[in-house]
Amino acid sequence: MNLFEQMAEATIKGDKEQCAALARVALDEGVDPVQAIQEGYTKGMHVVGDRFAVLECFLAEVMLSANAVSAAMEVLRPSLLERPGHGSQGTIILGTIQGDVHEIGKNIVKIMLQADGFTVHDLGYDVPVRRFVEQAEELGADIIGASSLLTTTMTYQPDLINLLGELGLRDKYRVMIGGAPVTAEWAAEIGADGYGENATKAVEVARSLMQEKRGGEVS
Amino acid sequence: MLPYKMWEIVERANSGPFCEDDEFTYEIFMPKMQEVIKKYDIVYDSDMPVPADDDLADRVWQAAVEFFLEVGVLNVDTHRRILVDASELQEALYHTPGRYIVGAGKDARLWKSRVPEADAPPFCIFSPDITCDEEIFLPMSIAYIQEPLADGVCAPILEESMGLKIKSGAPTEMAGVVEHAMGLRQAVRLAGKPGMFLVAVGTAQSDTGQVAVSNDEWGVRYTDGRLIGALTELKIDNKLLNKVVHCMQFGCFIGCLSGSIYGGYAGRAEGTAILETAYHLAGLTIYQANFQQSFPFHLHFTSNSGREMLWLVSVTQQAVSRNSDILSTSNGFLNAGSGTEMVLWEAAAHGLASTVSGGHLWEAAVAHNKYRNYATPLEARLACEVGHAAAQQGMSREQANDITLKMLEKYEDRIADAPKGKPFQECYDVRVSRPMSWYLDMFNKVKDEIATMGVAFPY
Repeated sequence: MNLFEQMAEATIKGDKEQCAALARVALDEGVDPVQAIQEGYTKGMHVVGDRFAVLECFLAEVMLSANAVSAAMEVLRPSLLERPGHGSQGTIILGTIQGDVHEIGKNIVKIMLQADGFTVHDLGYDVPVRRFVEQAEELGADIIGASSLLTTTMTYQPDLINLLGELGLRDKYRVMIGGAPVTAEWAAEIGADGYGENATKAVEVARSLMQEKRGGEVS
Repeated sequence: MLPYKMWEIVERANSGPFCEDDEFTYEIFMPKMQEVIKKYDIVYDSDMPVPADDDLADRVWQAAVEFFLEVGVLNVDTHRRILVDASELQEALYHTPGRYIVGAGKDARLWKSRVPEADAPPFCIFSPDITCDEEIFLPMSIAYIQEPLADGVCAPILEESMGLKIKSGAPTEMAGVVEHAMGLRQAVRLAGKPGMFLVAVGTAQSDTGQVAVSNDEWGVRYTDGRLIGALTELKIDNKLLNKVVHCMQFGCFIGCLSGSIYGGYAGRAEGTAILETAYHLAGLTIYQANFQQSFPFHLHFTSNSGREMLWLVSVTQQAVSRNSDILSTSNGFLNAGSGTEMVLWEAAAHGLASTVSGGHLWEAAVAHNKYRNYATPLEARLACEVGHAAAQQGMSREQANDITLKMLEKYEDRIADAPKGKPFQECYDVRVSRPMSWYLDMFNKVKDEIATMGVAFPY
């Protein structure tokens, strides 16, 4: 097993110590930290994500794997900070929209995005529409993700998109939405840029949006 | 719990042990759940979607009691854990009446606790559990209300009021909830059941919305019920407690709404069954609930008719009904949509598993509970007819398990790709609120086949 395969294996097993140890090995051997993340840890998380999508593994295991990746990231962080964009896949603001207190889905998406290398700022739940925009501006986000579990709160999702337009910021951010009552048709209807049917798809959508934002360049 | 405890719960919501959200979930809830699953040896058996194992049911109860007493419920506004002790729980269980007269006048119903394999039929609440177009709210509500087996009804939820999209906490919600409540009151009168037990108002998500519809003349009456939910998992906030206090003082029946997520923080079937049982205890003590509205669901499919889900529904209902007089409605969440044979098989399986396990019925959300207008009373009718039949013929859990396995063969390999079906307007003649003949034929076809499996329908 090469180093990247070992990293993926340790991630799948949720072995925090091993993930961190392999990250140190990578640095010692002069391996590009971004490549270590993408070829090693992220690939492992993709396997975990795929298994979670069919509930061959459960949330506790996903979190163990995500924590293991975080441990590796901590080791790699000083090297990542030296790189433009800090090696991050992108910066995402996440939150459950105004009036809605359901957040487990959003929390799972957060775990998967972080493990995929995104910088995620979680605003929590019942997040006023305006706050999404303010925080996106303050934190330099690339993507705004708004989740809703109720039909009476998903009606705030178009408000977010409209507010971005009113403020002349629509083209600055990509907006992705998700949640139980949300569908691809709803996302298209309100002009969202992406729709995450589940956590695994949300990561794919986020990657795709970042690729589009960067003009086709993959970081 | 007894009324005087309400003040204690409100006080504990402000003074209980301090705890942050993530600490509660990841450092208290999840480890304790793993501990009790192992300690009480709770193991899912895929061959037994309806287990006939009293000891298992009792161990699930014991696990839930230990889990609930130690973990409590977190108020996310005050960051305080609301805890009750063993003697308080015992007191609350002792004082649980186990019977209520709900609704009013000739339409009033006696709702009594059951036990597994009880020959008393389940109390049946018919509900689409979904939103509907404003213009079909009345005919759709009437369709549910006029069902003969409906002891109570929960109407569809409005997405629009006077053509404006309803937003939670906004003026459109305040207008929409009154429209819903008044419309429902009109519907029961038109259908000849003016005193029917109504659980309302689903359009009112906010606490202010719920308060707005409390009106014995045109709105939700004190003879009706309200649902007050929980935050995932075992969390509450002050807005939910506002609803509790209001409903206590207004005098309507409180239903604690709990939907443990299979695949979420509680993990697999074992943990989710323990959690859902624990929610009944939270409902009794912290929500001051008169009944529990139980809808555990699959994280990905938003359903509970799959094999492992039927097991956890059955085990939860057995645990609760064997060890308490808590009234619990088992809410079916089905994968397929209306107008399909699959949804009818799913409804039948859920109704059967729940009834023989000692539960009451709340049927049924369909099509993953995702699409406006997608639900009809026929799915609920079949679930409840199966439930009534199973009870009256004295069906055992073993017999029910055999039949459930046969029902599962009809649909379980299509859960991931279930047919969406059709909306209410294509399954029912909206002008007269009656099913189309093709759907009635489909219903009877499936019902006849269920009868050959051993379910003795009385008609």
